[in-house]
Amino acid sequence: MPASVRLDRVSKRYRAGRSRTFVDLIGSRIDSVRGQSRDVQSASRGRVDSTIWALRDVDLEVAQGAALGIIGRNGAGKTTLLKLISRVTWPTSGTVRVAGHVVSLIELGAGFHPELTGRENVYLGAGLFGLRRREIDRCFDDIVQFADVERLIDTPMKRYSSGLYARLGFSVAIFSRPDVVLVDEVLAVGDAAFRRRALEALRRLIGEGKTVLFISHDMWNVRRLCDQIVWMEDGRVRAQGPAGEVAERYLNEVNLAALENRATALQSHRGGTGEVRYTDVDLVDDVGRPTSMIEPGDSLVVRAGYRAEHPVPNPVFRIAIVDVDTGLVVSTATSKAAALPDRIDGGGLVECRFPRLPLRPRQYVLRLSIADQHDLGSYDVVTAGPRFAVRGGGRGVDGLADEDDGLVSLPFEFAHRAAAVSVNPR
Amino acid sequence: MSVALANPGVLTDRAERLGAPAYFELLMNLTRREVRGRYSQSLFGIGWAIAQPLATMAVFTLVFSRLGQIPSGGVPYPIFAYAALVPWFFFSNSVSSGTLSLVTYRNIVTKTYFPREIVPLAQVCSRLIDFSAAAALYTVLMAYYGIALGRWAAMAPLFFVLLVLFTVAVTMTTSAVNVFYRDVNPVVQIALQLWLYLTPVAYPLSAVPARFRLLFVVNPLTAIVEGFRASIVFNRPPDWSLVSISSAIILVLFIAAFTMFKYMDKYFADVI
Repeated sequence: MPASVRLDRVSKRYRAGRSRTFVDLIGSRIDSVRGQSRDVQSASRGRVDSTIWALRDVDLEVAQGAALGIIGRNGAGKTTLLKLISRVTWPTSGTVRVAGHVVSLIELGAGFHPELTGRENVYLGAGLFGLRRREIDRCFDDIVQFADVERLIDTPMKRYSSGLYARLGFSVAIFSRPDVVLVDEVLAVGDAAFRRRALEALRRLIGEGKTVLFISHDMWNVRRLCDQIVWMEDGRVRAQGPAGEVAERYLNEVNLAALENRATALQSHRGGTGEVRYTDVDLVDDVGRPTSMIEPGDSLVVRAGYRAEHPVPNPVFRIAIVDVDTGLVVSTATSKAAALPDRIDGGGLVECRFPRLPLRPRQYVLRLSIADQHDLGSYDVVTAGPRFAVRGGGRGVDGLADEDDGLVSLPFEFAHRAAAVSVNPR
Repeated sequence: MSVALANPGVLTDRAERLGAPAYFELLMNLTRREVRGRYSQSLFGIGWAIAQPLATMAVFTLVFSRLGQIPSGGVPYPIFAYAALVPWFFFSNSVSSGTLSLVTYRNIVTKTYFPREIVPLAQVCSRLIDFSAAAALYTVLMAYYGIALGRWAAMAPLFFVLLVLFTVAVTMTTSAVNVFYRDVNPVVQIALQLWLYLTPVAYPLSAVPARFRLLFVVNPLTAIVEGFRASIVFNRPPDWSLVSISSAIILVLFIAAFTMFKYMDKYFADVI
C-alpha cells in the first residue's frame, strides 16, 4: 500500500509560559544587565525565552487504508502530531507530507455558529471541510439522519445540547469525503449509542480505504478500531507495532506508575459516621507477600484492619473490586459469609480471599465500607482504596475463555446443532 | 465533484488541498455567518447599517455646516458628507472588526486548515452588505435633493475597487499582527477615530491649508473619498495626479500585506 501520511524527522517547538509583554522585554534587559537573566524568578515572569519541544525527530509512515492508534500520556505530543498533519500548524523542522484531503475531528462542531440553525451550520461546517454546496445538497439528508437531529434541524444551534452539537459535528466531518481522518478523543462525548455508531462509521471509512489516525485514552476503543498503535512519550515515538501488543505494554507501565503512589489511599474520599473505621488495607498474595500487580488467574487477599470506638453489633464489612474505567466488577460482604462474631469492639482484622481471580488485564481499585446490622447507615466508606492491576501478557487464565474484550474470563461452552427443518424466515 | 488539488495517491506538503472554487464558497459561507450573526435577534436588522452613516451625517451637518460654516462646494451639505461617510464607514468597520477576526475565530483557526486570509476577507465582504444598503439610501437622498448622476459617475467603480483593495490591505495587516500583539486592537481603534478627521470626509480637500497637503496626499482614503464625491456628487473628473499616487500606494500596500500575511499565517495557531 502506498503511504498516506509521512513525517520525516519532524520536530515542533512551542514557546512556554505566557506571551511576553513590552514590560517583560524591558525587564529582561534590566535583568541581563544585572546578570540575573537565568534565575527561576525571571523565567517565571516571562523575562527569559523558554521553549518546549512538543515533538522531537518523529518519523512516521501510515499506509493508505490503515487505522493507526496514537496513545500516550497527556502532553506526549499526540495532538501536536495531528495538528501538524492537518496543517493547522507547521513543523519547526522536518517535513510533513499527506496524500489527499484531510479532515480533522480535533474538536467537533468547531466551525458552528450558535445563532445559525442546524441546517445553516451543516453548510458552514461542511464548507469548512471543503465540501461544495451541491455536494452538501446531495448528502444533507444522510448527515442529518446520522446525527439524528431531524427534529431540530431548523432550530438555532444555541438551543442544542452539547451532545447533539458534537453529534452533528461528527456527522458533518465523516460525510466530507476525507482521504485522511484525524480523530482526537472526540468519542468521549455523546451517549453510548452514538459512540458505537461513530466507531462503526470510522470502521466503514477504513473499509473504504481511507486512512484513520485515532487518539484515545480508551485502550478498548483503540484496539477495536486500529491495527497499529504508536505510543508517544515526551514528544518521541516510544513504540510502534501491532495494536494489542503496544496497548498491553502501555497499560502495564501506566498501571505500575499508578500503583507506586497509593500510600495515602485511605485518607481521601472517606465517608460514614466513623464509629468503626478501617485502619489499614493491604493486598497480599497466597503466601502473605504484599502485591499490587498480579497475573490473570492469581489469587488475591484483601487484608483490612479496623478499629471500633465502642461495641458495635453485627457490622457488615463490604469489599468491592471496581474497574477504573467501567465501574463495579464484584461486590462481597461479610453478612453472607457469616464469619464474624455477633459484636465487635476495639481492633480487628477482616480478610477476604479471591481465589483464582479471573480478571482481564486492567487497573482496578478497591472500594470498602462498613455498614450497620440493618444495612441502613455506614460507619465507614472508602471509595478509593488501594489499587491493583492485572498484568497483560496474553497468557490468560488456564481453562477459561480469554477474548480480547471484556472484564473477566469465564468458563463457557458452545454447542451447535444443525437445524432439522429449514429455518422459518419470519 | 469538488476540484481537488490533492491527489489521494500522491504525498505532498502543500497546505491547500482544494481548488479555488471551494475556498471561494467558504468565504461566502463565513461572510453569511458573519452577517447573520450580526443581525440575528435584532429588530432593526440591516437597518443599523444605514443608521450609522445617516446619524453621523446629521451630526456633521449640524456641527460642520451650521456651526462651522464648512463649504460643501455648492451641493447640500448632507449629500456632500454622506457620499464620503459611506466609504469611510465601510473602511472603518471592516478594519475595526477585521482586526479582531482571527482571534475571534481562533476556534476554527486552531482546529482546522483553510487559507487563513479567508477570515479577515469575510469581514470585509460582510461590510459590503452594509455598504450596499447605505449606498441604496444615497439614491433616495439624491432624489430628495433633486440631484442627478452625470457621466462622471461611471468613474465610481474605480474608487470602489481602490477602496476595497486598501481596506483589505489594512485589515489583513492589522488582523495578522493582532494575533501576535493584542496591542494592535486598541491602537487601531484610536487611529480610526483620528483618521476620520484627517480625511476630507466632513470638509473638502480644498479647505485644507497647503502646508498640510502632503499628509493628505499620502493617505489613500483622501483620493478615494474625494474621488467618490467628484464622480457622484459634483459630476466632474477626479484629481488624476492624486488618484495615480494613491493607486500606486494602495497597490504596493496590498502586495506587501498579502505577502506578510502568508508568511505569518503559519504561526497563527501556535500563538493565538
